[in-house]
Amino acid sequence: MAATSRSVDLAREDGFWVSRFRAMAGPCEVLIETLDATEARVVAERVADCAWRIEDKYSRYRRGNVVDEINTADGRVITVDEETAKLLDFAATLHDLSDGLFDVTSGVLCRAWTFDGGTRVPTQAEIDVLLPLVGWDKVQWSRPKLRLLPGMQLDFGGIGKEYAVDQAVQLARNICGRAALVNFGGDLAVSRSRADGRPWRVGIEDSAVRARAASRVLELRHGALATSGDTHRFVLADGTRYSHILDPRSGWPVRDAPRSVTVAAATCTQAGMLTTLAVLVGNDAERFLEAESVPHWVLRH
Amino acid sequence: MSKRDTTIGHAVAAATCTLLGTAAPALAEDEAARWDFDTALLYYGEDNDRVRDLSASILARRDFDDDRYLNLDLTVDSLTGASPSGAIAMDGPQTFTSPSGNDVYETAAGQVPLDDTFLDTRFALDVGWTQPFARLYTMTAGLGFSTEYDYTHLGANLGVTRDFNRRNTTVSAAVAYAQEDIDPVGGTPLPLALMQDVGDDSSKAGTDTKDVLDLLLGVTQVIGPSTVLRVNYSYSDSSGYLTDPYKILSVVDPVTGDTIERAPASGALGPTGVYRYEARPDSRRKQGLYAEVKHDFTGKVLGVSYRFGTDDWGIDSHTLDARLRWPIGEFNYVEPHLRYYTQNAADFYRFSLLDGDPLPSFASADARLADLDGVTLGLKYGHRTVSGSEWNARVELYQQSGNVPGGQLIGNQSRRAVFPDLDAVIVQIGYRFKL
Repeated sequence: MAATSRSVDLAREDGFWVSRFRAMAGPCEVLIETLDATEARVVAERVADCAWRIEDKYSRYRRGNVVDEINTADGRVITVDEETAKLLDFAATLHDLSDGLFDVTSGVLCRAWTFDGGTRVPTQAEIDVLLPLVGWDKVQWSRPKLRLLPGMQLDFGGIGKEYAVDQAVQLARNICGRAALVNFGGDLAVSRSRADGRPWRVGIEDSAVRARAASRVLELRHGALATSGDTHRFVLADGTRYSHILDPRSGWPVRDAPRSVTVAAATCTQAGMLTTLAVLVGNDAERFLEAESVPHWVLRH
Repeated sequence: MSKRDTTIGHAVAAATCTLLGTAAPALAEDEAARWDFDTALLYYGEDNDRVRDLSASILARRDFDDDRYLNLDLTVDSLTGASPSGAIAMDGPQTFTSPSGNDVYETAAGQVPLDDTFLDTRFALDVGWTQPFARLYTMTAGLGFSTEYDYTHLGANLGVTRDFNRRNTTVSAAVAYAQEDIDPVGGTPLPLALMQDVGDDSSKAGTDTKDVLDLLLGVTQVIGPSTVLRVNYSYSDSSGYLTDPYKILSVVDPVTGDTIERAPASGALGPTGVYRYEARPDSRRKQGLYAEVKHDFTGKVLGVSYRFGTDDWGIDSHTLDARLRWPIGEFNYVEPHLRYYTQNAADFYRFSLLDGDPLPSFASADARLADLDGVTLGLKYGHRTVSGSEWNARVELYQQSGNVPGGQLIGNQSRRAVFPDLDAVIVQIGYRFKL
C-alpha cells in the first residue's frame, strides 16, 4: 500500500467514534466508546501508527525490512532485533506444538499455488522442487541469530495481523480509559468492556453467510476473535475446491478444511493460532476445538 | 497432529503471553466495572468574611445491562458567614432585630449591613433511573430531596430522549416538578411589614410553600467529526412564597436619603431605624435559551456557550462561557475557563423605600435582583491514570459588581458604600473512578 493512502478517517456512528484506515492489505477500524473527539483521535492515530509500523516491518512485500533482510540473506546468518526474536521464538514453539503443521517457512509453496479462484493445480513435481525449502526444522535459530537455507523464505503472514491487533489494543488500553474495539480485517480485540457493561456485538465476515442474507453476530465482552478460512481464496479444479491452507509437510492444501473458523480467546494471537491450527487439521477441526474448550464457530460447505 | 489427544491451548496461551509480554489475561465473562464514581470537594469563599461554603458531593452511577443506569447524587453543604441584608449603610451604627426575633445585631458606622446569623447545613439526595424503552428512545425518571434548617425540597422529574440520523442527532424533552416548604427562623415575615422589637412577633406569620414547574427542550447535533452543537430552551414557572424571609429594606427620608430613626420600646431591644421586610410577587415565569458549541482543534477542545434568560420580574440575563481543554501528553490536561454574566435589575428592585410614599405592592433591596456583572476566571488541571481514573483540581476567581438603577440613590446615599463589590474564590478537588 502506498504511503500516501495512510490516512485515518474519523466519524461519529451509532454512539461511537469510528476510525477507518487501510493496513495489512485490508480495511481496519477502531471503535471508541467516547464522546470526546480528541480522545478518539489520539487512540485512532496511535492504533493506525501501530498497524503501519508492524506492516512496514514484517510485510514480505516490502524491500529493506527485517523480513526482506532474512529472505535475501542467501544462507548468511542474520542477527535480529528483540521483537523479531520474540516472534521467531513464538513461531518455533507453535511449530513444535503443532507437529510441524504451523510453519512460517511454508510461504515458498505459493510459487506453485495461486489461489485466485482459478483452476490450475500444480503437478507433484512442481511441489517436490519446493519442499526442500520448507520446514522450520531446517532453520538454525539461536536467539538472536537466524540462518535460513539459501532459497528459503520466512513469512509472518500467519501471525502478523493478530499480533498487530494485540499490540494495538494494548496501546489503546494504555492511553485511553474508554472501551475500544480494534478490528484489522476481521481479526479483532477489545480493550475493555463497555462502560455500560453491555457486550460488543461483532458480525463475522463471511461471504457465504452474507449471501444467505443472514449474519452471525457474536457478543464479546472481553478478549479477542480471530477468523481463518478460505472464504475468498481458493483453487477450483475438477470439481475439487482446494483451500489456500497448505500442509507444509506435503505441500498440498489441507483436505476437508472448514471454509471458515472463528475462535474467541483472551488475545487475538491466541485465537488466531487456534483458528489456523483448526483449519490445518481439516476434518478434525471441530473435534480439535471442542477438546480445546474455546468458544468457536466453524463453517463448512 | 499426533498430539491431538492432549490439548495445546494452554501452551499456545503461554507462548502468546511471552510474545506479547503480558500476563495471561483471563477470559472472564462478567468482570466489567459496574459503578462509576465522581467525587468532589468544593470550597467557595467570599472576601471580607462573607459567605463560605464547603461542599462534598458523590455522584455514583450503577450500570445495568441493556443501557439501564441508576444515578445517585449526594451532596452535603456547610454554609457559614454573612450576607447583605438589604438595608443601606449609614453614618452611624445601626441595630437590627435578628431573624429569630430573639436578639439584635449591630452594624458599624459606614458599613453595609450584613446579617451574620447565616449558618446552615444542607443535605441533598437525587435518585435517577435511565433506560431505553423503544429503539432509539431513552427515558429518565428521578426523585430529589433536600433539606436544610429552614427549607425542605421534594422534586420529581421525567425526561425522554430520541436519537435520529444514526445517533448524530439527539432530541430531548424533560419536565420537573418540585414542592418546597419554607420554615424560616422566627417565621415568614408579612409582606413589607415593619421590623419589630425583640419579642414582638406581630410582623411574622408561620411557614409557607412554593411550587416549581420546569420544562426543558433540547437538541444535540454532531456537526462533523470534530464539532458538536447543543441548543436548549427552558421554561420555569414558580408560584407561592418566592420572597427571601431574611431580606429587608431601609425606609429613608426622601430628601437626605438617611434611614428614618426609631427607638425601641422602653426596656426592650430592637431596631434603631425603620426597616421593612421585602415582598416579591408570588409567581415567576422564566425562560432561557442556551447554545453551546464544542470543537476539537486536533487535540485541543474549545467549548463556547451563550445563555439568554428572561423573566416576568423584568430580569434579562446574558451568560457567555468559554473553556479550552488543552492536553499535555497523554495523561494530563489543563483547562482555562472564562465566564461573563450580566443582568439588569428586577422591576421591583428598590435601593430603599421613601418615607411617606404609599407602599408599593412589591419591593426588594436584595443585591442579587439588582443590575450586576460577574466575571469568573479559572483554571483546571486534570490527570488521568492508566487505569482510567482521573484526578482534577480547579481554582476560579469570581468578581461581581453591582449598580443601583439610575435615580434610586438619594441625598447622602451616593457618598456611602452602596454595593460592596464581591470577590470570591472557588477551589475544587475531584476524583473519578470505577469499581
